[in-house]
Amino acid sequence: MSDSPNITTSELLSPDRIESAIFSLAQAVRESCGDNDFALVGIFTRGVTLAKRVAKILADEGLICPVGTLDISLYRDDFDNEGTDLPRLESSDIPFPIDGTRVILFDEVIFTGRTIRAALDGLMDYGRPSKIELAVLIDRGHREIPIQPDYVGVVVPSELNEYVKVRFVENDGTEGVFLVTK
Amino acid sequence: MSELKPRKDLLDIESLGLDEIEYVLGNAVPFKQLFQRSVKKVPTLRGKTVLNLFYEPSTRTSSSFEVAANRMSADVTNFSVSSSSIVKGESLLDTIETLQAMQSDYIVIRHQAAGVPNIVAKHTGASVINAGDGYHAHPTQALLDSMTFREVHPDYAGKRIAIVGDVLHSRVARSTSTLFHKQGIEVGVLGPGALIPEGRPDFMQRFQSWEDVFDWKPHAIYLLRVQMERQEGPFFPSIAEYHKMYGMNSERLVSMRKLGAYLMHPGPVNRGVEVTDEAMGYEKSLISTQVENGIAVRMAVLHWLKPETQMD
Amino acid sequence: MRLFKNGKIASGASPELVNADVLVNEDGVIVEVGPSLNGGDAEVTDCSGCVMVPGMFDLHVRGREPGFEHKETLKTCAAAALHGGITGVVLMPDTSPPIDSGNQLKSVQDRIVELGSIEMLQAGCLTAGRAGKELAGYSGLAALGVPMLTDSDRSIDCPDLLRRCMEYARDFDLLVTSHCETSALAKAGVVNEGRLSYRLGLPGLPAISQEISLVRDLALARHTGVRLHLQQISTGVSLDAVRLAKRAGVRVSCEVSPHHLMLSEEDITNYDTAFKIQPPLQKRENNEALLAGLLDDTIDVFASGHAPHTAFEKSADFGSAPWGASALETAVLAIYDRFIRVGKFNWDLLIRKYSSAPRQLVGLDPVAISMGEKANFFVFDVEAETKITPDYFRSKCSVSPFMEETFQGQFRETLIEKY
Repeated sequence: MSDSPNITTSELLSPDRIESAIFSLAQAVRESCGDNDFALVGIFTRGVTLAKRVAKILADEGLICPVGTLDISLYRDDFDNEGTDLPRLESSDIPFPIDGTRVILFDEVIFTGRTIRAALDGLMDYGRPSKIELAVLIDRGHREIPIQPDYVGVVVPSELNEYVKVRFVENDGTEGVFLVTK
Repeated sequence: MSELKPRKDLLDIESLGLDEIEYVLGNAVPFKQLFQRSVKKVPTLRGKTVLNLFYEPSTRTSSSFEVAANRMSADVTNFSVSSSSIVKGESLLDTIETLQAMQSDYIVIRHQAAGVPNIVAKHTGASVINAGDGYHAHPTQALLDSMTFREVHPDYAGKRIAIVGDVLHSRVARSTSTLFHKQGIEVGVLGPGALIPEGRPDFMQRFQSWEDVFDWKPHAIYLLRVQMERQEGPFFPSIAEYHKMYGMNSERLVSMRKLGAYLMHPGPVNRGVEVTDEAMGYEKSLISTQVENGIAVRMAVLHWLKPETQMD
Repeated sequence: MRLFKNGKIASGASPELVNADVLVNEDGVIVEVGPSLNGGDAEVTDCSGCVMVPGMFDLHVRGREPGFEHKETLKTCAAAALHGGITGVVLMPDTSPPIDSGNQLKSVQDRIVELGSIEMLQAGCLTAGRAGKELAGYSGLAALGVPMLTDSDRSIDCPDLLRRCMEYARDFDLLVTSHCETSALAKAGVVNEGRLSYRLGLPGLPAISQEISLVRDLALARHTGVRLHLQQISTGVSLDAVRLAKRAGVRVSCEVSPHHLMLSEEDITNYDTAFKIQPPLQKRENNEALLAGLLDDTIDVFASGHAPHTAFEKSADFGSAPWGASALETAVLAIYDRFIRVGKFNWDLLIRKYSSAPRQLVGLDPVAISMGEKANFFVFDVEAETKITPDYFRSKCSVSPFMEETFQGQFRETLIEKY
């Protein structure tokens, strides 16, 4: 990545480190859920990738669970859409009944918590889950809403003037977690 | 997506770029999927006001906008202007001042005079959506027509659609044909000579008969409503004659089936004029889908436009 | 005494401008014209870079008085005319009440005398109340020297009635002036029928509305022998009919406005009502045809068609807004910039067709800048520019399709020895 003046980028997690973090996340989910039914719902865009990777790891161990996707653009309370005023909406797809289901929401980073708040509203407009839990790859702190993840890959302390960027091969062509300072 | 500039108003199809059209139609799909949920609402426009200003009577379009706005959690006000206040001569500018004072975020306006939404848009900070002005334009109708056709023909470029009926008085014909043309769909027209304007654009090729239309192998037939209330002169001898020459009857339905062509109509339908009862039951009729898509498209439009207060 | 020095004088006789000074005395009479004049203690006006042009005469102007003073008054109309180099006008009788009798005419004529500004001739109606049913009071109008008869903006639908109007008018040797439109074809039309009416979704008014009515009026004029004047010609097809009629000896004249010479329906890009003028702007090819008609003398005169309305009235939607725009103060400017400056024709054509011929049609003597004549000319700076803004207008109406245009040329002043 080329740096313009005043912007510095450093790699926080290498692809190997990411892989092991996601693996631990999957194990933690499995241990917690035991034999009970549960479903994974990934928040667009990279939360979906995360949920799918976790689902694959679980499937490889013989645990099949449904995966849904959730676009929360319509539920946001801010326009912090990485610079675009005109978000392209994605089709949410929840191919299983929400009523009475234990749902684990996935997002790649939790920061202020507002995204998750929007996701909770969005999810509950599909029905009434029996329980909702949250799994994130990175927790970078600075919560503005009282929401905490149940499963965390890595805690990354950060400053407010920094960006934590997660890159997945499926979405970005490269793999890594980066810290960008302005 | 960040190259797309935010837009305040939707006044016509002519001024839209293909990128904008793709954006709105792309977003309409997730909005349509919301209809499957038990909670069909999203909170996106909560606290925002939508004013439905209908100078011409229309329950169909105004309720479609009302449903769309409600599903965005907006507060909707319906303002039906009786023709008497126009007769009294309340000027457009006075009405606009009243509208400004109401501070709506969105104004959906339908008016019998072409150009009125343009004037309103110029004088208010609200986002103005043209729900039909005179013979000029009906952009949300065109968008829902395109969305509907694309659902059955995802590879729509190069396909053919014939528009049948009173093109002269039809804002739907103008907007929908313009949009289809922009998207690479070929457009043909069929209708009584007096109702197919000479001034139409070159891309609208005129057919002389249903035989010629079917020889062209259209993928859809788009029937226009016969505008009984807009005729200010003798354009064809009688309804019976119109139906005989241009109506979708059993005989033409046979050709439709052979071609696998779809049937479209902006509604409301005049049974016995443009269509027979039998045609209304045609298995490849997209008419009710058009209505459903209308709500999704109008939600996408409300989501897309930005009133002045929201632009920075 | 005033001495206009260093300028050039234009005349209808020749395209050449003459370098000469003009000396005008206290009574407003031109006492000397020649190079390098000595004016004694005369007030000197430096006319370097300017042309002195005989005052224009506009056959088609609306003063709106009596009855529509909110749109214009005779006073503001005169001020606007003077501002645009126009020293005489014929006022349309589409007032309230309309000028259809000697009494109505007298009261306007008295008002004009009272005003004491430019030369204003009030036309009379063809039919009573402009209703197209019965003849107006021709004898009373003729006795007071009415310059022409017209129902202005209204065409007489019934050919038999028009024929009787013409026969009766002929006996008084009155000029019958027609607004050529076929009401059954014009109906709700607000813009030329064609590409533009389709694109803007507005009811169209087909060009044949003018063309059919014009051919009919020519035939009636030929039949009755009356002197006929046709207003605001706008299409090549209309012109062809006039050409034929002239060749056949019909006593017909016709006018064209700068708007129709220069603008076309393609200039109406959105719903700007400043472009809603009568007759509707046509397809661009007609601009060429009209210019050719000017050059081959098929078209006899320029006439602005000045039709002022309030800004409020013109702020309505295109369909509802009234027809017309402010035209007096932009006419000569537009003609100079678009035709004379670029050599399509010269000052002499303008003077013949906007000063001498119109005066002649209504029985007045031409004006000239020569010794012994009353001063009746305007000074025009060809080196300065004029931008058309709302502030430019002396008329009450500042709605113009030329808004925001910049024309080469500027009026310095208009002189008219009060008649």
